[in-house]
Amino acid sequence: MTPVALFTTAIALGLIVLSGGAYGVLYGAGSLRSSRRLLRAGYVCYAGQLLLVLAVCVAAPLAIVWKSFLVLSGIAYGFIPPITWRLLQALHHSNEPQP
Amino acid sequence: MYRSQRLALRYFTAAIVLFGVMTAAGLLSATYYIQPSLLYNVFDFHMAKIVHINTLVIWLLMGFIGAVYWFLPQELEREVVGIRLAEILFYVFCAAVAVVAAVFLFVQYGGSNQFSMWFINQGRKYVEAPRWAAAGIVVVVLTFVFNVVATAVRARRMTGILWVLMLDLVPLSVLYLDAFPQITNMSHDLYWWWWLVHMWVEATWEVLIGCLMAWSLMELLGTSRRIVETWLYIEVMLVLGTGILGLGHHYFWIGTPQYWLSIGGFFSALEPLPLLGMVVHAVYDAGTHHMHTTNRPAFYWVLAEAFGNFIGAGVFGFMMTLPQINLFSHGTQWTVSHGHFAFWGAYGCGVIAIIYLVLQRTREAQVLESHAWKWSFGLLNLGLIGMVGGLLVAGIAQAIYERAEGGSTLQAFVVASESSWFHSGMYARLAFGVVFALGYLTLVYDLLTIGRRVPIVATTQVASA
Repeated sequence: MTPVALFTTAIALGLIVLSGGAYGVLYGAGSLRSSRRLLRAGYVCYAGQLLLVLAVCVAAPLAIVWKSFLVLSGIAYGFIPPITWRLLQALHHSNEPQP
Repeated sequence: MYRSQRLALRYFTAAIVLFGVMTAAGLLSATYYIQPSLLYNVFDFHMAKIVHINTLVIWLLMGFIGAVYWFLPQELEREVVGIRLAEILFYVFCAAVAVVAAVFLFVQYGGSNQFSMWFINQGRKYVEAPRWAAAGIVVVVLTFVFNVVATAVRARRMTGILWVLMLDLVPLSVLYLDAFPQITNMSHDLYWWWWLVHMWVEATWEVLIGCLMAWSLMELLGTSRRIVETWLYIEVMLVLGTGILGLGHHYFWIGTPQYWLSIGGFFSALEPLPLLGMVVHAVYDAGTHHMHTTNRPAFYWVLAEAFGNFIGAGVFGFMMTLPQINLFSHGTQWTVSHGHFAFWGAYGCGVIAIIYLVLQRTREAQVLESHAWKWSFGLLNLGLIGMVGGLLVAGIAQAIYERAEGGSTLQAFVVASESSWFHSGMYARLAFGVVFALGYLTLVYDLLTIGRRVPIVATTQVASA
């Protein structure tokens, strides 16, 4: 791996997780406030994450198995915030006292 | 207040003192990079590093033990069984730590013989404490396990959190026995040694802090037991599911079979996924409570834990966990950067949050508020982010100049160590280390004073809320 490839791949991998986190935070904040703008910003972050995954798959000298893993985990990132949110809501609502 | 809770306060005090020792030793270690001849042949870099890392482990451990002694009688509504023994062993523990620290300061090292191993230094990273002290830690931990289990049995009551805690205490105590074997084959030795280091940190400690956070959220936000227990089960499942075999990322370059490259890379790359769930949960909790609570310091430190864990362990870890990247990054300041951020996020912030929670109870403050906690929160986190940023720059410079360009030769090591990027990174680390140390001093001041006088502004805020 060349020094440039090492640097760009590592930074891209970090940014993939970071943009996934930003998506989670913005999705949560948008759902809380029922704000479309925040939700949209969250989806933009997720789109950015997918683009980074694509860039790594095309340009980085990683083995094919790791590229496949990145694609699958990139898809998984998309589902985690909504599923977590629904689970949290269901848990909290089922715990509220019944009238 | 239960006797066990008074013991918890002593553990917290000891933990905060050791946090200070760790910070001082860290600052000293950072200074050696700028001034390599500092204290040459008096107190060399490796001794400062030993003190830094060992106090890191011990202050967190004391924080965890203190937290369990605090929450346990509340959970079971009775005094802890064997509390007298626990009280005695607390002083034994502190005395042992003081003796070991004195040996590290004044004796430092001995010959390659049994005497050195038993009374000076075991020579194994993170568990350098001489063997007599390691045996003492086993006794303390076993007493702690006895306290928890016997109290639950005597109370004839069991909760989900306690089940998880008690199951976790088994590996917590058993894995420490890995500190004892004398294996001369380096690969075999490291193979088992990582069980202790990794499994403690990325498995049993994660579960332990999960239990403590579950109790903390119940107290801090009034979250129901059902919710925290459900989340605790999910977290334990995910953390253990990814964390146990994530151990493999330490097996890449120590002479273990090649399949560890795949196992370690795959499972450790999965580790950020449950952390993302925790971040979403933190946003949910913060949002539904509109950031209002009677204990803002604890609340903010809990949030810092969720985000710090995600960025430190998740983002910084993922950057370098795939074998093809790790080949260049392992053993550089890059790893140090990840380790600092992950430890701080996963554990340091959590222990501080629990201490604030406890202080609100002991000082009977309806609202726990001060100006100092904001300063300490800001300085500690700014200092830490600056430090890990500096270390990241220095580490990437090492990976590029020493490994990728230079092919890991001695000459390449020298070239990397003399690069301006490496130097700038180390200067930044020292400067932000000073900021962190100032944050620590502010934290100590705040812990001593907060809640003794309730600020009028805070009281008004709560009344209007």
